[in-house]
Parts: sequence; C-alpha cells; structure tokens
Amino acid sequence: MQFLVENLVSDTLTVSLPLYWPELMLCVTIVLLLVVKLFDGLRWVDPFYIAVAGTIVALGTSAPTEGFGSLASMEPTELFTGMLVYDGLTVFLRIVLLLFAVLLLVLTKLTGLARRYDGQDIYVLLLGATLGMCIMATANHLMTVLLGVEMASVPSYVLVGAVRNNRRAGEAALKYAIYGAGAAGIMLYGISLLAGILGTAHLPTIGQQLVAIDLPGLMAAGEQPGMLAALVLAGLMIGVGLAFKLSAVPFHFWCPDAFEGASAEVAAFLSVASKAAALALLVRVTLAVCSPVAEAGPDVVAAAESPTIVAVSSQAIATMEAKTPPLGPVRTYLATLIAVVAAVTCTFGNLAAYGQTNIKRMLAYSTIAHAGYMMMPVAALALLTGRSDGGAVQAVASLLIYIGIYLFMNLSAFAIVAFLKQAIGSEQISDYAGLVRAAPVLTVAMVVTLASLVGIPPLAGFLGKFAAFAVLAQTGTPMMIALLMIAGINTVISLVYYWRVVRTMCLNPEPATRGPLQLTAWPTAYALLVTLPLLLIFLFPGSLTELAQAAATTLLP
Amino acid sequence: MQSARHSTPMNPATTLPTILAIAWLLPLAAFALVWVGYSLPQMAGGRASYGAQRTAGWLATGAIGTSCVLAIVALIIWLTQTAPHEVATVHETAAAHQAASEHMASPPTSYSGIYYTLAQFGKLRISIGYYIDALTIAMFALVTLISTCVHIYSMGYMHEELEDMVDREIATPDGNYYHRPGRYHRFYQYLSLFSFSMLGLLLAGNLAMVFMFWELVGICSYFLIGFYFERPSASYAANKAFIVNRVGDFGMLIGLMALWSCLGTLDFGDSNTPGMFSQLRSEAHQYELDAAAMGSESADTNYLLLFVAGVGLFCGCVGKSAQFPLHTWLPDAMEGPTPVSALVHSATMVAAGVYLVGRCYPIFVPEALLVIAIVGAITLTLAATIAITAYDIKRVLAYSTISQLGYMMLALGLGGWAAGLFHLITHAFFKSLLFLCSGSVIHAVHTNDMRQMGGLRHKMPWTAYTMLIGCLAIIGAGIPALGIGLSGYFSKDAIIEQAWSFARVNESSGYQLLMWLPLGGAFITACYMFRLWFMTFTGMPANTERYDHAHESPRSMVGVLVLLAVFAVGVGWHVPGSKLSVTSLLERARPAGTLETTTGTWLPNLTVPDEHLSHEPQIAIPAGWSAFAMAMGGLLLAAIIYVWRWLRAEEIQQSFSPIHRLFVNAWWFDQLYDWMFVRPALWKSKFFAGIDRYVIDPFVNLLARGTAFLARALDLVVDRKAVDGSINGLARLTWDFGNSLHRLQTGNLRQYVVFIVVGLLGLFAAVSLCWKYALAG
Repeated sequence: MQFLVENLVSDTLTVSLPLYWPELMLCVTIVLLLVVKLFDGLRWVDPFYIAVAGTIVALGTSAPTEGFGSLASMEPTELFTGMLVYDGLTVFLRIVLLLFAVLLLVLTKLTGLARRYDGQDIYVLLLGATLGMCIMATANHLMTVLLGVEMASVPSYVLVGAVRNNRRAGEAALKYAIYGAGAAGIMLYGISLLAGILGTAHLPTIGQQLVAIDLPGLMAAGEQPGMLAALVLAGLMIGVGLAFKLSAVPFHFWCPDAFEGASAEVAAFLSVASKAAALALLVRVTLAVCSPVAEAGPDVVAAAESPTIVAVSSQAIATMEAKTPPLGPVRTYLATLIAVVAAVTCTFGNLAAYGQTNIKRMLAYSTIAHAGYMMMPVAALALLTGRSDGGAVQAVASLLIYIGIYLFMNLSAFAIVAFLKQAIGSEQISDYAGLVRAAPVLTVAMVVTLASLVGIPPLAGFLGKFAAFAVLAQTGTPMMIALLMIAGINTVISLVYYWRVVRTMCLNPEPATRGPLQLTAWPTAYALLVTLPLLLIFLFPGSLTELAQAAATTLLP
Repeated sequence: MQSARHSTPMNPATTLPTILAIAWLLPLAAFALVWVGYSLPQMAGGRASYGAQRTAGWLATGAIGTSCVLAIVALIIWLTQTAPHEVATVHETAAAHQAASEHMASPPTSYSGIYYTLAQFGKLRISIGYYIDALTIAMFALVTLISTCVHIYSMGYMHEELEDMVDREIATPDGNYYHRPGRYHRFYQYLSLFSFSMLGLLLAGNLAMVFMFWELVGICSYFLIGFYFERPSASYAANKAFIVNRVGDFGMLIGLMALWSCLGTLDFGDSNTPGMFSQLRSEAHQYELDAAAMGSESADTNYLLLFVAGVGLFCGCVGKSAQFPLHTWLPDAMEGPTPVSALVHSATMVAAGVYLVGRCYPIFVPEALLVIAIVGAITLTLAATIAITAYDIKRVLAYSTISQLGYMMLALGLGGWAAGLFHLITHAFFKSLLFLCSGSVIHAVHTNDMRQMGGLRHKMPWTAYTMLIGCLAIIGAGIPALGIGLSGYFSKDAIIEQAWSFARVNESSGYQLLMWLPLGGAFITACYMFRLWFMTFTGMPANTERYDHAHESPRSMVGVLVLLAVFAVGVGWHVPGSKLSVTSLLERARPAGTLETTTGTWLPNLTVPDEHLSHEPQIAIPAGWSAFAMAMGGLLLAAIIYVWRWLRAEEIQQSFSPIHRLFVNAWWFDQLYDWMFVRPALWKSKFFAGIDRYVIDPFVNLLARGTAFLARALDLVVDRKAVDGSINGLARLTWDFGNSLHRLQTGNLRQYVVFIVVGLLGLFAAVSLCWKYALAG
C-alpha cells in the first residue's frame, strides 16, 4: 500500500503535473477571477486582463516541452494513472482551444458581452468550459470522457442563458440543459454497459479486450448474441453522448435553438471549441477501439488474459479465413455508423439552412453541416486503422487541419454577426441589406468568411475540405466514395444559402430607415485579424499542415 | 555577358546598367510621388490646389529631365568607353563596306544581365533584366529627350487644366458646357508612367519583360487617349486603341510561345545561359540563321516554327505601330491632348513596334522579312492617300505617322536594318516637332479644322517656320548633288536606296512594286505635308474671328519647337570633324550576321540584299535623284493647288470623285471592320446573352427552385410533420398564441428529449436489421 501511494505520488508529481500546466493555469486563472470578485479593494481590476493573461500563459505552456520540432517523435504519455493521455493530439487541441479562448475573450471585450463589473461570471464560465474541453481532448478513460463532456457542457448551459434581458436566451439555455442531461444519461448508461462487458473503462485496454474476445470468432460461431447486442448498444449509447456534443443528426435539436437564443459570441464558442473537443474525443474513442496499442500481438495478450476464450475460439480461427483481423467487425461497425451519421448530418444541416431568416440560426445549421464534413475523415479513420499504409495518419491530420481552419472561419462569421448586432441591432439576414456601402470592410470580411465556409479555392476553407475529401478518395471503399459524393453535392448545396447572405449584403439596396452605423475601428480591425488567416493559411499552409501531420503521427503506432 | 575590350577604371559593364536603371526608375518615382501626394488625397475628396498641381508638373519634368541627362551621360560613356567598330557611314566606297562587312562578322558589343529575378519555373526565368547595346543607348537618349521636350511644352499647353476646366466639347443637358476640376497633375502622372514604361521596354533584357512593358505602354496610351474621358469620342477612341492592340498582342504571344518552347529562353543576350540570338545565330554557324536551333525533328518544321515566331512577333508590332490592317486606331487616338500625340502616338510608343522588329532582327527568316516589307509598303501607300484628303490637322499628321512607320517597316523588311532604325530616330524628331507645332496652332485658334485656318504665319511666325522645317524634313528635302539636306533626307534616301537595291536583285514584277510604292509615297508625302502647311499658314485667313484671336504660344512651347527644329535639321549629320553620326552609332549595334545577302528557303527567288550594297554609286545616285524628284513634284503640286491656285481642289475632287470618296472615308476600313468584327461580335454577344437569360437562367432557377422546394419539403415533412406533427402537431395548432410561449417550451422540450430516445432506438433498430453487414469484418 505504502509502495502504491509512493508510486502514485511520484507519478503525479514528476510525470503528470509537468505535462498538465495549461489546465492548471486555467484553474489558477479561474480562482484568481473569483478571488478578485470577493474583495472590494480589488474591484478596480478589470477581470478581462486577468482572464486574457491567464489564458495566454496557458497557451504558452501548451507548447511541447522540447519544442514543436520534437512533436512528431513524441511518445504518448499517460497522465494520472491512465485517466488522461499526453500526445500530439493533446498538444494540438490545447493550442487550438486556448488560442480560440484568447481570441474569444478579446471579442467579448470588444462587443461588451462581459462588462467590467460582472465580467468575472462570464469569464469563469468560459474558462471552465475550456478546461472541460481540454479534458475531453485528453481523455483516456471512459470516466474522464464523461467528466470532460459534463465539464464542458454545464458552463455552456449557463453561458447560453447569460444574455441580459432576453427571455429567449433563458428558454434556449433550459432546452440545452435538459437535452444535455438526457444525452449524458444515455452516455453514462452506455459507459456502464461497455465497462461491465469488458471489465475496464480504460480506453486502450478496451481495445485490447475487444481483440481478446475475438469478435469474428464469436460471430462465425453464432455464440453469445446477447453480448454482441449489448456491445453494439453500448457503442450506440456512447455515440449518442458524442453526437450530442457534435450536434449530429438526429441529436441536433438543441443546436439551432441554443444558437439563436445565445449571444453570437457564445454561439461561436459552442460552434468552434465544443466541436473541436468533441471531434478530438471521437478520434480518441475510435482509435482506442479500432487500433489498440498492443494489437501487434493479440494472441499474446489474449493468451495472457483469458486463455479459455482462446481455447474455445482457436478452432474457429483456424477454420475461418485467417485474414479477418480481430477488430474487423468493430472497424466496419464504427465506420458505417459514423459515415451514415455524417452523411445525414451534413445533408440535413445544409438543407435546413436554406429557409432560415436569422443569421445565427443559419450558422447553426451550417455548423451542423460542418460537423458532418468533419466526421467524414473519422469514418475513414475507422477503416484505415486496419491498413498499414499511413492513411490513418492522413485521416487524423486532415481532420486537425480542418479544425484549425474552421476555428478562424466560424469565429470570424460569429464575430461579424456580433459586431453587426451591435451596429444595427438585428440578426435578421434581411436587415443586412446593402451593408457593403455602410460597412464595407466588415462586409468584405464576411464575404471572405462565407466563401471560405463554402470552400472556394483562394481561401483556407478549400484546403480543409480538400484534405478531408482526399482522405475519403484515398480510402476508396464503395462506402467512402459514396460519402465523398454526398459531401461534394452538399458543398454545392451549401453555396446557395451562404451566397444568399452575400447577395443581401452586397446587392440589395440599403433600407432608407437605417441610420449611419456606429462602428469603431477596433471591431473592423478584429474582423480583419480573424479573416486574414483564411487567406494566409491558403497561401502558406506549411506550418499548420506540418503541425497537424506531426500531431497525427504520434497517435498511431 | 560580354565585357568591353578596353577595361578601364570606369567599366561600362557595370556603370551603364546602373545609370540607365536610375534613368529608367526616376519617372516611376515621380509617378508614385504624384500619386501619393495628389491623387490619393483627391480620391478622399480633397482637391489639389493650383500651386500643388504646378509642383506635380515640375516634379515629373524634373524626373524625366534628369533621366535625359543620365541618358546623355550614358551615350557619352558608350562612345568613349566601348571600342568602335570600323565606322561605315552611308556614303563611302564599296571597298570600305567590304571591310566593314568582314568586321561585322562578330557580334556587336552589348551588356546583358539581370537586375532582379521575378520567378523561375523550370528552365523559364522571368526576370527584370537589361540588354544594352548602341541601339538601346540611342533610343534611350531619343525617348528621354523628346519626352523632356513634351513635358516642358505641356506646361504651357495644359495650363487650362490647372484650374476648373470648362470642356467645350461636351454640352450638359441644361445647355451649359461641362465643368470639371482640372487634371493637370494627373496628366503629368500618366506622362511619367508612360516614360517609365517606354524606357523599360527599351532596356528590357528579355522578351517577357518586353511584353510586360509593351502592355504597360499600351495601358498608358489608353489612359492618355482617354484623358478627356467625359467626351464619348475620347473614351471610344481609347477603347478602340486598346482592343485593336490586343489583336496584335495575341499574335505576339504566339510568337513568344514558339520561341520559348523551342529555345527555352526569352533572353536577348547571354547571361549565364545562352540567349536567343546566340542560339539562333551561333558563332559555330558563322552567325547565319540556324533553324536547327529550334530543336524539332525535321528541318521544315524548324523553319516553319521560326517563321511563325517572326510573323507572330511582327503581329504585335503591327498593332503597336499601327500597320495595315490594324492601323485604324491611330487616327482616332488623336482624341488625346496634342502633346500626347506628339510623344506617344508619333515619336515613341508607336515606334516601339519598329524598334522591336529591329531588336529581334536576328530571328527573322527572309520570308518573314518579306511579310514585313509587304505590310509596310501597303501601309505607307494607304495612309498617304488618306492623309491627302483629310482636313483635320492632327489627322493628317496621324496618317503621315502611319505612312512613315510603313516606310520603316518596309526598310527593315527589305534588309535595310540601319535605314529603318535611322528613319525611326529622325522621324521621332521631326514628327514630334510637327505635332507640337500643330498643337501650338490648335492652342491659338481652338480648332483642328484646316479650313478654318490660313495666313497664320503672320500671327505666329515661330510656329510657322519651325513647322516648315518639320515639313521639309519629313519630305526628305536636300540637295543630292551636294549631299546635304535635312535629317529626313538622309534617312529616307537610305530607305529608297535599299528598295532600289532590292528591286535590282529581285527581277519579278511583284518585287518591283516594293520600290515603286515608296517612291510614289514620297510624292504624296510632299504633297500632303505642304498642303497642310500652305492651308494653315499662307493665303487669306479663312475665319477672321479665329484669326484675330490667334497669338503666338508662350515661350515654354516655342522654345521646345526651336530645339526640336534644330534636331530635325541636324540629326542626320555627322558630328563635325569626326565620322560619328547616328548611322555610325546604329552600325555598332547591328546584329551579327545580318549584313549579308540572304536568300529564302521556301522562296528561292527571294533575295534580301546586303544593306551596304545599296550605298554603291550605281544604286545610290539614281535612287537619290528619283526620291528628290518625287518630293519636289509633290511640293510643286501642293503649291500649284494651294498657293498659285492654278488648279482648284474642289474641281479635282469632283473629277476624281470615287477615288476621293475612297480616300476621305479612309478606304472604308472602319466601316469594314464594323461590319466584319464589331457587329458580328455584338450579335454573338447578344445571342449568347440571350442563351444565358432565356435558357441557362431559367434552368438554373429551376434547379434552385427544385432544391429549395426539396429543402422546404424536407423541412415540412421531416421536421414539422414527422417530428412536430406526429407528437403534438394538432395540439400546437390550437394553442393560444398569447399563452403559447410557456406551453411551447415544455412541449418542445418533451419532444426533444423523447427524440433522443427515439433516435437511439431507431439507430439500434437499423443496426439490428443490418446486423450481418454492419459487423462484417
């Protein structure tokens, strides 16, 4: 016992905590924000600066300790006795999430969402949710998966409602919270099922256990159908929790309402950070069950842990075609499930965006559609883990590139919506008529952003879509080709509703009733700051793609 | 890069590129300064004051003046620092020519290199480079000098633009004239940009850069023709010039592609890698044109490629130098201010086509040269006949420009490389002089119509007599017996001699025409130039009101006229006490291997004679006398009609009325092109616009409506009917609107949560149904 405790302490102090600095810094910042609020003497401190400083420090500490050059050769390290894992994906997602948090904090300052005297509340909630998302991105255990999802969700519920004097916001928050609770409940049920069947909740071990129970053998022999059904159901239920965070169809219902009710800044947070973390989690789960670290020697593992099953199934293996890999069924199941959900999500999101009159609602459906696009490489990933041609690395890298670009696209779109809401007091697309004359720079930034969301070449959005689609094409199975075609058709469809906004802003005549816009230089500068990367990343994609490639390399053996 | 044979402390290989680069970039700096200092504030709604506008003029003039000084310094460095070839002047004996010819069997001194590499694609290097030889130096001095003159002249001519301007050519709907702020600084801005572009074109070290600056001078010309863009005629003319030039440039691009794909480089000179000239005329091949360098399999294809490259390049020159059949834009280009006509549309830019043919002379096969000669001969005759009937003083000069450019092309095509370029230089001086004189006249009487003038020499003697010098220069006045004359005498004689020499070696009657047309052209030239002078300056004033208001131009304008008149007289002469002259300078740049008699491959009868043969007495003497006779004849005819009035112009017009109508309507080229190209293009565009509007648009709309309908249907069926409707659609309809919010909340929420379960179960059912497939390994 003594030994165990000493081991635990030394592991925590020497291994885990040094690699956990960003999250620790976030915690410190949150505590500081709360402490400052307690003392009257410290009222003069603008909480914004504390929040931004803390987040920037956290961002600084999230760089790999040995520099970015070493990222590709980094060995994954398990933290806190396997609850979390530190690898390339961790580094990449932390950077994305914290960079986004910094930009978003600046945005809230510019739009006045968080005022000087009550800013702490919103900042604490934002940073708390960011912390939860970091945990989602680093989760290595089903319990931390749930913990991360909940930690990211609960502050989000409050954030959605944190718009003063707006009943719709409260309504949206309540819907979101109850929907989230339902999804979490189902997910927890799935976790308990899976853990019960496989005897572990540690993700890599789950993969090894799946190898060990020899699914092809069981299926061929027609044995234990109950266990198989339970496994399928468990996978589905965990999937529901993830689909909720991803706002994938048919678990998307909260999304348009929440986006419409929440302020644009919070909507940006939900659409970028939340999605990024959920996708990282999806990749983690997919990789864990499809490509366990010790898959190279399944027989050894199996023999060591459950000799009886091996004995039972050895004959089956001998009779069945030897080429069926032990995880083949899991891969096909996950790939099909994710591909179908992705295709439906994408198509539904794009079609439903057509009729929207509220820009935030339209962007909500656009977010749903993009979640669909981003799930597609994950579907390919599930299949590619069975091959050894490096395709899996490409799949993960393409997703990370997409996430990196998506950050700027959606942040820019929602930021401009927030600025325009301030200037014209409306979020109806029809009220944007003729804005090109009143606010030319913001309009141009919006056009660039929307073009990038469609994926028109001189902009980064094209790069992300191209990377994702290329993975589908390279995978080449009929299902993936079909998915590619659906994605292509969807891109065309999406052009219409994005371009409707452009047309309204640029071609429609200005309404006579609108007075001059109250826009200072800072919002314009901010819009340019977040739009410019869309062009720059397309022109100089090197650093992003290399970082994504390196991060993806560490994930796969 | 070739280095000079005498290496001195001041190495021309490094000093010349530096000096010329500074001379080249100064106008660009002036352009940028004026843009930043004047145009930007004006765009923001401010206005440039009178003083500020004047400063812009001085800035631009100072820049080009400094360039001019630098160009002259470069010329002096060239003359003193580089070893001269044996100077072979025009009137020497055949023995000396022979010696010169042998000496010429080596490439001329030139310096080439790269200032800055823009991009490298495989073998193709796109760079800002330079190729400096005697031709570059001479043209640099010429362009900067004339440009400086025009800058100074414009200070007087454009002074109306300094303040608010009333454009009397445009009437506004309320019956007044059109008022607008002055654009003095913009005029100088364009002039600076043009000077920069033109100098870049001259300095260019490769054809890609030539093309770049070729287009830049084109756009400057567009800006300047359209300077009074509020006038419909000016904007129309600017568009016409720009579009017609694109036609030629298309051919030029083909030529460039042929050269680049075969030779892998567009550099003129050798810098690190062998350039075009040394590949096509290699030393190993005695500098003869070697079609095999084009690198294709069969000799015929090689020759064809070389022909295509030559004719393609020439197409660009046809557009820029307003040769038949693309000559129609130049007369219209006279819509620009007159100084612009003098600088851009007579002396420099339009001569760029001739310059380019001269520069790329080593790549033309004899058949391509024949094409050039024929086009030149047609152009010179055609334009001269039109000039003789025009009444617009600037149009007469414009057609005269076209005709003279035709002479230059003809000379180049017949093998007279030095003759053509020599005429380019002399023509630049006397034609800019003529244009500036006409500008002075227009400035005084405020009309272009010569029928409104007459007797003006009493009112404006300086203009009248400098213009007389210009007219004498252009007709090639001189005394053959003494060998003295104005500049045009030497250059035009050289062309006629080359034509004579060509006609002597090529017996066939078709080739004889190439001699008779320029001779006839000389007659018509003299006739229309003196018609112009007599109508404007002699006789009785046709319009006394205008005559009374006429006055001599300010000193800045007259001074320039005198300076240019001096050049128009003397630029063909030798520097006293030496053999140095423009021709001897040009001879130093003669491309290796082009000074010998060559025959065609496809047309074995075609012989392009060695240029020096044309200076032999048995050719030079009869050619010189006949040219003289022709010019005097034309002058006499003009005098008979317009001074002594033995013949009345109206009677001649009536007795030759069909021909007269042909000439007055400029051979109906504009109408012909209108019917052949413009209208069909408009019809076509209307047709395709119709397809767009009535076929494609409805189709796209249909698709869009279909998609929108599908989306709405899905929304209606799936979201509203299946989800909402199935659970509590009916209840929803009956909800009281005022009380709905509260109930809506709970209703929707319940739905939502139920749908989590429904979704999960649905997916599970789907998986269960497709059990085998979903879990197939």
